[in-house]
Amino acid sequence: MRDLIDIWVTCQTWIFETFVVPVLFRFELMEWYEPGFKAVEIVMLGVVQILVIALGMRFFEKRWPLERVPNDNLAAVDRTYTILNKLGIVPLAVFAVSYPITNEIEYVVRALGYAPPRLEQIVPWLHDNALASFLLYFVLYDFAAYWLHRAQHGFSWWWALHSLHHSQRQVTVWNDDRNHVVDDLLMTLALAVFSQFVGVQPDDYILILMIGRLIESWSHANVDVSFGRIGERLIVGPRFHRLHHALASPAERHIHDHNFAPVFPIWDMLFGTAIYDGKNRPTGVDDPVVDADNGRGWIGQQVTVLGRFLKALVPRPMRGPFQPGLRPPAE
Amino acid sequence: MNRLAVVASLLVLAVGAARADTVLVLNSDEASYSVLSRSTRTERLRLPVGREPHHLVFSPDGKEVVIGSTVTNELLILDAQTGEKRRVVRDIVDPYHLGFSPDGKWLVTTAYRLDHVDFYHADSFKLVNRVFIDGLPSHLVFDAESKTVFVTLQETGRVAAFDLETQAIKWNVTVGKAPAGIIMLPDNNRLLVALTGQDNVVVLDPKDGKVTTSLKTGRGAHNFWPKGDGRHWFLSNRVENTVSLLDTHEMKVVGTIKVPGGPDCMDLTPDGKELWVTQRFLRRIAVVDLAQMKVVTSIPVGKSPHGVMMLNAPAPPAATPPVRAVSSTGAKK
Repeated sequence: MRDLIDIWVTCQTWIFETFVVPVLFRFELMEWYEPGFKAVEIVMLGVVQILVIALGMRFFEKRWPLERVPNDNLAAVDRTYTILNKLGIVPLAVFAVSYPITNEIEYVVRALGYAPPRLEQIVPWLHDNALASFLLYFVLYDFAAYWLHRAQHGFSWWWALHSLHHSQRQVTVWNDDRNHVVDDLLMTLALAVFSQFVGVQPDDYILILMIGRLIESWSHANVDVSFGRIGERLIVGPRFHRLHHALASPAERHIHDHNFAPVFPIWDMLFGTAIYDGKNRPTGVDDPVVDADNGRGWIGQQVTVLGRFLKALVPRPMRGPFQPGLRPPAE
Repeated sequence: MNRLAVVASLLVLAVGAARADTVLVLNSDEASYSVLSRSTRTERLRLPVGREPHHLVFSPDGKEVVIGSTVTNELLILDAQTGEKRRVVRDIVDPYHLGFSPDGKWLVTTAYRLDHVDFYHADSFKLVNRVFIDGLPSHLVFDAESKTVFVTLQETGRVAAFDLETQAIKWNVTVGKAPAGIIMLPDNNRLLVALTGQDNVVVLDPKDGKVTTSLKTGRGAHNFWPKGDGRHWFLSNRVENTVSLLDTHEMKVVGTIKVPGGPDCMDLTPDGKELWVTQRFLRRIAVVDLAQMKVVTSIPVGKSPHGVMMLNAPAPPAATPPVRAVSSTGAKK
C-alpha cells in the first residue's frame, strides 16, 4: 500500500512542480501553493474515474445491456461532459466564481460572531472516529443534494437548466456529468455553503464528491444489474435511477419526479418519492424542444440551454401562452 | 517474585525511554498526528486529532503540547512527556499558527483562512480581543520583552506588529511576496522574514518594520528553525526543495541541503546531530544527517505532514519563543 502511495505522490509532485509551480511563482500566486497541489490530485483522481468508467463500468454495459443502443453517437457529447468535468476544467471555472462568494459568506458569518456548530461538538465520539465522521457527513451531504435535486425539478427556471441532463435518450454511464455550467455553479454554491455550515472538512468534501460522483455514474449505467432487494434500498443503483430518467407518458406524466436521491435512496423512501416497480421504461424528455438537445454538441447545448434558462427567468405574467422548454403546468 | 519486580522495572524503564524518544508530526490533510520513534525511525502510532492540524507549541511551563485544530476550532492538549491526549479546549477559532509570549501571559493565534489575529489569556484560554486584518495572517513571533507580536500576512505581502497589552497595530508594512516564517534573532533587534513568493529572506527593524537587508536563499523561502547556537538558523525553501543553513552574524548562506517534496517545518534531535524536516508533498519526514549535510532516510507518515516536534528536546534559545513549528505557505486550506 505504501508503495502505491509513494508512486502516486511522486507523480503528483512531478506534475505539480513541472507544470503548476512555475505558473504560480511567475504570477505571484503563491498563496495558492497548497491548493494547487491538491488540484493536481483532483485531476489525477479524475483520470482514475474516467478509467473506472471507460474500462470497468462500460464492460458491464456491453456485457449486460438493458437497452440495445442503435446509435452510440448520442452518447458522444456526454463523454465530452465527463472529460471536461473529471479533468477539472469545468470545476475550476465553477470554483473561480463560487469560491469568493462562499468565502465571503463564511467570513461574514464568523465576523458576526457565529461559529457554525461542528458535528464533533455535538457528538464528541466522532472526534476519534474519522470513518464514522466521514460517513455521517456523507449522509448529510446527500440529504442536501436530494432536496436540491427536487428543487431542480420544482422550479421552472431551474428545470430549464436541469432538463439538459434529462434530455439524453440513451442514458449511459457517461450521462452523469451532462449538466449546464450554470446548473453546476448553482449546485456547487448551495452544497459548498451547506457543507461549511455543517462542518464538512475540505478534504472530506473532495472525497465525498469523488465517491458520490462515481456512484452516480454507475447509477446511470445502461445495465440489467441489481443490488438485490435490500441492496437497492441501501444505495442507488441503475434500476432505481433509470426510473428518474423515464420518458413521461400520458399515464405517468411526472414519472421523473421520483427517485431523486443521488446516493442513498432512504430520502426517497422517507419523503414519499420512491418507486420500486421493476419496470423498464424508455428514457428522455417528452418535450420536443428539450429533446432537440440530442442533436447538439457541447457548445450548442450550453448556448441553447442558457437561452432557455433566461426565458424562464421572465416573470410568468410576461410570458407568452407557451414557452418551449419549460415544464408543463401541473395536472 | 524478585524476578517479576526486575522485569516490571525494566518494562517501566523501556516505556519511559520510548516516550522520551518520541517525535510528533501533524498530518494536516488528515484528522491525525503521527507518533514516531526517533531511534527506530518508524511511525509507531497514528492518532486522531480534530481536523486539519497545522502547528503545535509547548505550553509556557513545558509540561504540555498544544495543537491547533483549524477546522474544528479547537486546541488539543497533550502531555509533553508521553504525547498522550489530556483535554480539548473549544472555541479557539481557526487556530492555524499559535504561540505563547515569552512571559507566558499571552496565547496568540492566527486565523489564516478567516483573516483575524486572536489574543487569549494563556492561563484560561479566554479570548481578550480579535483583530480582523486582511491578507491571510500566517506566522507569528514575539519580542523578548513580550510587548509585541509580529504577524506575517501572506496574501498582501506585509508584516504587522501588534502591541500585546492594547492589541493595537503598531505598524503594518510591505516586505515582499508571500511572507511566511518569521523569527526574532537573539539580539532582539532584528526580525527575519522568509518570502515564499521570492527566493530570499529579509531583515526587518522591529521598531518600524523597515527592511534593512536581504539575503538570497532559494525559491519559496519559507520557514526557520534554530541550530541552537544562537547564530545559525535553518531555512526551508519549499519551491527549491532545499534547506539553507544561515549564519545570522555574517548574514550569509553557509550550507545547502537538498530535501525533496516541499520541505516545511523542522526540528533538531536533542543531540543536535539530525534535522527532521516534513516533506509536505511526499507524505514523509526526512532525516538529515548534519555531519554529512544530506538526507539519510525518509519516514512515511500521513497526508501533508506539517508541524513536527521532538519531545524531550532541549529548550530553544532564550530569545526565541517556544514556537516549535513555524511554517507553511499555508495557502487557502
